Amino acid sequence: MKIKRRKLEAGIPTVALADIAFNLVLFFLLLAKSQDDTYLKWNPAMSAKVEHVGQSLASVTIDINSKVYFNGQQMGGGELAPAVKAALGNLPAGKRTVLLKVDKSAPAQVFEPVIEAISEAGGDLVHILAEQKK
Amino acid sequence: MALRRKHASHALNEPPQVMLTDIAFNLLIFFVVIASTAPEDGRKQNIPRSEANAKTTNQTSQNIEVAITKGATTVNGAEVASSELMTRLKTMLSGKSRPEDRVVLVKSTPDTSYEHWIDITGVVEEAGGVVTLQMEENKTVNVR
Repeated sequence: MKIKRRKLEAGIPTVALADIAFNLVLFFLLLAKSQDDTYLKWNPAMSAKVEHVGQSLASVTIDINSKVYFNGQQMGGGELAPAVKAALGNLPAGKRTVLLKVDKSAPAQVFEPVIEAISEAGGDLVHILAEQKK
Repeated sequence: MALRRKHASHALNEPPQVMLTDIAFNLLIFFVVIASTAPEDGRKQNIPRSEANAKTTNQTSQNIEVAITKGATTVNGAEVASSELMTRLKTMLSGKSRPEDRVVLVKSTPDTSYEHWIDITGVVEEAGGVVTLQMEENKTVNVR
């Protein structure tokens, strides 16, 4: 009598494929977020009237030491306007938002030239502020 | 007589616990991404391109001038308390309908803090003025 050998089915487990795909999407999403400035320390000024401004391609930060950063990279005075201009490219009006995050104690001699540079680059300025609770 | 199922098994009713760590990990990453892309709060200011500034420089003498120092604010040279600034500006701007007439030159000393500056420019905008920065080297930047 012949005894049949049981065939072993060695397949690739496909259950986790969706998980792997999802992780890859998130990984590339994080990688694409090039303007990471979350490590910078700055205290926002308070304002009673604020609105949600959403996301932007360009973000300028003046930290607690009054140093100027563009999309997380430190910049000198003259470098800012060309950098903002390059980042905004030929975007139409309304999509040229530049987020300005200034430490509340920063002096005018630091933040005024930054505002001027954003103006020169044709950016739509948005001051990032904290809501003052009544 | 009650019949008992021969091969009663509870294994089929239990969810597979192997995937739980995967799910937890995915949820963690998902919320990290969401938190880092949360919208921020702020105040919009439209700044006309630099070329447009040349037009306003000739008119500076007719416009209201707000000077900000570390402790005080002056309107056309006269010191004004922060609480009175809004009513003073509203009175001065009443009857002016053209944007170029509503230009308010904001001049600040180098040591003026951003917190103070944003307060004052907020009041100017609320009063209906078009904020224009007057820089030390006589450059002007419009903030509307």
